[in-house]
Amino acid sequence: MISSLTQAERGAAMLITLSGMVAGLAMAAAGRGDPMGAHGWIVLAFFALFFGLLVRAAYETEAPEDRSLAYYDDPTKVGILIALAWAVIAMGMGLWVAAQLAWPDLRFDAAWSGFGRLRPVHTSGVIFGFGGNALIATSFHIMQRTSRARMPGQVAPWFVLFGFNLFCLIAASGYLMGVTQSKEYAEPEWYADIWLVVVWVVYFVLYIRTLARRREPHIYVANWYYLAFILVVAVLHIVNNLAVPASWTGAKSYSAFSGVQDAMTQWWYGHNAVAFFLTSGFLGMLYYFLPKRAGRPIYSYRLSILSFWGITFFYIWAGSHHLHYTALPHWVQTLGMTFSVMLLVPSWASAGNALMTLNGAWRKVRDDATLRFMMVAAVFYGLSTFEGSFMAIRPVNGLSHYTDWTIGHVHAGAMGWVALITFGAIYALVPGLWRRETIYSWKAVEWHFWLALAGTVIYVFAMWNSGIIQGLMWRTYGESGTLLYSFTDSLVAMHPYYVARAFGGLLFVTGAIIGAWNVVMTIRHVPRQIPAQDRPTTPKTMEPALPAAE
Amino acid sequence: MSVLAFLIPVTLAMGALGLAAFFWSLRSGQYEDLTGDAERILFDADDTPLTPPRASPRRDMTPKETMK
Amino acid sequence: MKMDINESHGPALPVSGPRKTDPPPRAERLAMIRPSAAGRGVCLLSVPGLRCGGCVAAVERALAELPQVVSARANLTLKQVRVVLARADDDPLPVLERLDALGHEAHPIEADREADTKGEGPGLLRAMAVAGFGAMNVMLLSVAVWSGADGIMRETFHLISGLIALPVVAYAGQPFFWSALSALKARRLNMDVPIALAILLAVALSLFETARGGEEVFFDAAVTLLFFLLTGRYLDQLMRDRARSAVMGLARLAPKGALRLLADGGREWLPKEAIAPGMRLVVAAGERLPVDARIRRGTTDLDRSIVTGEAMPLSAGPGMDLEAGTLNLTGEIEVEVLRAADASFLAEMMRMLGAAEGGRGGYVRIADRAARLYAPVVHLLALLTFMGWLWITRDWQASAFVAISVLIITCPCALGLAVPVAHVVAAGRLMREGVLMKDGAALERLAEIDRALFDKTGTLTTGTPRITGGPEDADDRAVARALALRSRHPAARAIAGQLDAFELTAEAVAEHPGLGVEGVVRGRRARLGRASWVAKIAAGPRPETGPAFAIEGQEARMFDLHETLRPAAREAVAELKAEGLPVALLSGDAGERAARIAALAGIDEVHHGATPAQKVAHLDALRNGGHRALMVGDGLNDAAALAAAHVSMAPASASEAGRTAADFVILRDGLDAVPATYGLARATARIVRQNFALAIAYNCIAIPLAMAGLVTPLLAALAMSGSSILVIGNALRLNGRLAPPKARPEPQALMMPA
Repeated sequence: MISSLTQAERGAAMLITLSGMVAGLAMAAAGRGDPMGAHGWIVLAFFALFFGLLVRAAYETEAPEDRSLAYYDDPTKVGILIALAWAVIAMGMGLWVAAQLAWPDLRFDAAWSGFGRLRPVHTSGVIFGFGGNALIATSFHIMQRTSRARMPGQVAPWFVLFGFNLFCLIAASGYLMGVTQSKEYAEPEWYADIWLVVVWVVYFVLYIRTLARRREPHIYVANWYYLAFILVVAVLHIVNNLAVPASWTGAKSYSAFSGVQDAMTQWWYGHNAVAFFLTSGFLGMLYYFLPKRAGRPIYSYRLSILSFWGITFFYIWAGSHHLHYTALPHWVQTLGMTFSVMLLVPSWASAGNALMTLNGAWRKVRDDATLRFMMVAAVFYGLSTFEGSFMAIRPVNGLSHYTDWTIGHVHAGAMGWVALITFGAIYALVPGLWRRETIYSWKAVEWHFWLALAGTVIYVFAMWNSGIIQGLMWRTYGESGTLLYSFTDSLVAMHPYYVARAFGGLLFVTGAIIGAWNVVMTIRHVPRQIPAQDRPTTPKTMEPALPAAE
Repeated sequence: MSVLAFLIPVTLAMGALGLAAFFWSLRSGQYEDLTGDAERILFDADDTPLTPPRASPRRDMTPKETMK
Repeated sequence: MKMDINESHGPALPVSGPRKTDPPPRAERLAMIRPSAAGRGVCLLSVPGLRCGGCVAAVERALAELPQVVSARANLTLKQVRVVLARADDDPLPVLERLDALGHEAHPIEADREADTKGEGPGLLRAMAVAGFGAMNVMLLSVAVWSGADGIMRETFHLISGLIALPVVAYAGQPFFWSALSALKARRLNMDVPIALAILLAVALSLFETARGGEEVFFDAAVTLLFFLLTGRYLDQLMRDRARSAVMGLARLAPKGALRLLADGGREWLPKEAIAPGMRLVVAAGERLPVDARIRRGTTDLDRSIVTGEAMPLSAGPGMDLEAGTLNLTGEIEVEVLRAADASFLAEMMRMLGAAEGGRGGYVRIADRAARLYAPVVHLLALLTFMGWLWITRDWQASAFVAISVLIITCPCALGLAVPVAHVVAAGRLMREGVLMKDGAALERLAEIDRALFDKTGTLTTGTPRITGGPEDADDRAVARALALRSRHPAARAIAGQLDAFELTAEAVAEHPGLGVEGVVRGRRARLGRASWVAKIAAGPRPETGPAFAIEGQEARMFDLHETLRPAAREAVAELKAEGLPVALLSGDAGERAARIAALAGIDEVHHGATPAQKVAHLDALRNGGHRALMVGDGLNDAAALAAAHVSMAPASASEAGRTAADFVILRDGLDAVPATYGLARATARIVRQNFALAIAYNCIAIPLAMAGLVTPLLAALAMSGSSILVIGNALRLNGRLAPPKARPEPQALMMPA
């Protein structure tokens, strides 16, 4: 990792880590007695770790100057490992909170282990920790391969990757301490938000600079999806997190918007985060790894470009369907509903495009669990986008909102679509990236696939049932016009489904653990396979060029 | 709904940016060979093909030049 | 520029088989390179054999290995390869040879043609993108208003809509405005007149309403309408561009110049325009004559098929007059120029072609015919509405509002899409069937035909003769093949290609122009060629005519050459007859041969020995008799006839002029594409009529509502989108129209020169 840096780059990295340490120290000093102080120590320790690593390697041999003939895969490798670590931790958290809902005693009476604090650790952990790291790692891979160019910087990719993980770390540790903005998927407080903007700008610049260096004139469509993900998430993040800190020495801040305005902004952000974080980026993944793995070009490349623009335009205003039957003006609700329904067209175009690509390669899908991960992901994408459009219709929402149906819908998307496509991409990437002959155990991939699928199906069906029962119980009136069931009645009715949900989650987490184990074993135990030309060569001479610095 | 006074311009600006990106991609010839470009990612060149930057073909490949 | 002519044919023919293409001479090769700004040479090649990603990768990799190639990039859609050479004066011969070695035929594309392929496509796409952007955002604001936004919110939204719609309409509406303007200038009405009027009035009315704080504006309708119509227009354009570039890909370079023989014996390459009567030119074997000329020295065999349509080669010697376009097959000849290039036979044919095309100018496309009826009716109705409302309400503002809403709701959105969408779907369908359609109008005309005419050589027949006979002994066959491989004569090529024998190499091969090839194989002299010449070394009885083969001292063997029918020619004729279309043969060939082929194909009516002018006259007579004929032909001699016919088709192997003149180009070997295309044309015509019926039905409901003042912007938007989607859905039914294509040889195999 460090051996691939030149002395100058090591110097720059040291400077960055040193400034980070100083900032951490300042936060710790200013925020004494406040969670911000604790965060200061975390920042300090985080940067000190890297500073130590840099100092220890200071006198190791330097990398050769010209590394432009090799792809820079180290950040991708590290990103994949971190993503898997987050998957195990955050899905485990999910399992824990699911179990808490069925057996509340599992809280063990601690403040930090309450549902309200653990749940955001689970959501942020899977969305940002697992999904975000997977997106960053695969985007590094895809942007280099489709551009046929190396990333421009040596330090910037590491800055993006580790900087993003520092954000995740601050977020997760903050939740346990009770630090939150109380905004779904945007819980971290002001200093974490500012840090994420810095990281994100570097990420965007890195992406654009790689594209600018490309030697392949065409920009493959996956890059558009990734770029939309980076750019729009940046804008959404900035707008939604506009807040005034209560004090510069404390974590607490107040949103720049108030009341229903704040709610509108939050769901404009929230739903677009689903669109551009959980959809656009992962569609980029799908559009690269699915054709690659199937060995067939995407069924309709034109359609993949058209649905990109469709998704980009339609998603923007769909968010207000989260606020049906609230103080939000009726017409804004209708607007969100209309666009949510129209969104089905480009969404299904993407899902259909992916499945049509596999049409004619079903034998491969049958035999190859990796490809099956991607195929099932596309199916779940189609299912959950249909469900989403359906649930955005106001009368349907009247039944589904605030019930477990919503939880089921989100998990159909998050487990069935996002996690499955990511695992598929990871299995497709790992052997080639580490130059291994094969994956350690194909049987374990099969196990992972079936555990993940079974877990998702059990989870989603349990939540559909419990959600609809909940919704119906809450709106059942007796003959005298009073509600027939108390809230507790509905809670009791939920218990078997919550147990089933925890079981589905258990299967899914088990699959993720097997996957992480399989990847680690592949790296540690599978013999290296040196491709015919392991070292990049120029097509002109076919002579080995300068060795890639790995 | 005063927040819309803020959200609409932000969205319009993003849309205009998208339109500009589309115009750029059209002018730089991104849509001239969709059939071939879908195939290109399948070429087995993942480990090898970084040509030295001097011989970069891109400068000579820009369609603007071909129009002249 | 002096050079050695032999260099262009330097390497001997490969033993394994005949080359697929002969490279053009060096001077011509250099002429096809354009210098780039960076001082490199850019060369654009059409490679029709590019079919898959694998070919693209193989071609790019193989070309990149060449020392003079800086970069090579293949375009799979257009089937072109763009090669950047290190220097502008590098010879692209190695590139052509490398492609040939990979099994790809490659033709250079002229620089000015490259610009042609782009056409209006990008402009329309830009307009469409702007309209799409505008439509999305205006629609968003409109949905908000329809959902109940009112008061200051509604006024703000109207204002923003207006601010978006004005520049969008000004930019994206231009194709319609200009077209409408030019139609009005010519005192005609086309579909764009009501469209442009409706859009402009809708925007003007909405601006007025916005300023007034009114409740209903039509910005969304105007912009959405533009978007839908531009989509139709873009699809139409895309279809034509694609067909044009595909046809161009088939085109071979006509000779652009020739080598002039100077008084001092030197040689100089001259472009075609600089060749003057009286000059002496040298024409090497394998080259085409750029001008009309008379042979002064040398004997050779000639291929005059593009002049006469006659496939069999002809021996020629001094004193004989040759037409431009004649292909010199075997020997180098010296000729004297008779006429300048622009007065040559070739140029004369092109002029005839131009004149014949004029005859078709009177054809008005069905959409415009509809518009001639539609526009006045609609405008009259709008006027009546205005006057009626004014008379009743005395409120000119309200009256204008209602009248304009009549115009908007009747704006021929569905009509504008009815024809192009059906044609685009049909074109896609045809493309998959191996038929290129150049223009939607051709499909309309094809549906109207009442008879079909076929040319013989190259159309009903394959153009490549089949051989039978020849030596029976396997060794002798191998010797004959070894000789045949070394000649360009079509008979020799047919023998080399079809004779089943093992590999042998001939030595000391000499080609005797007009006579045949002679060589030494396994120490024995052997001849392949004219029967009388072969007989001189043979023993035994003298064979009579046709090509023969003999090993010295042995008995001579005859080859029989037959013209063969194209696959499915008989079935195609039968199918057309079953549809009630009389089928005739219109050939320039001699009566007996024409009659024989006609009988084989099942055609009763034969017109033989027709010159190009007589063919055109025949078609004109048919036209004047009120008939609408389909002409299927291939040669340069048919080009004018193809243009003169009501509608025409040409096989891919046709001459460049033939392919240019024809409305459809058949990429498949079999002629069953002719009835299949006819069937699809009729199906398309039916769909178009249904679409018009749908559009009229829609108007019958919409117009009374609009005249009664009941149309709101929401209703207008819904009606317009609904009718458009209905029309598009109906057109998509064409995709399921034909039976699935039967197994057939790859179309590529046909693009090889016969």
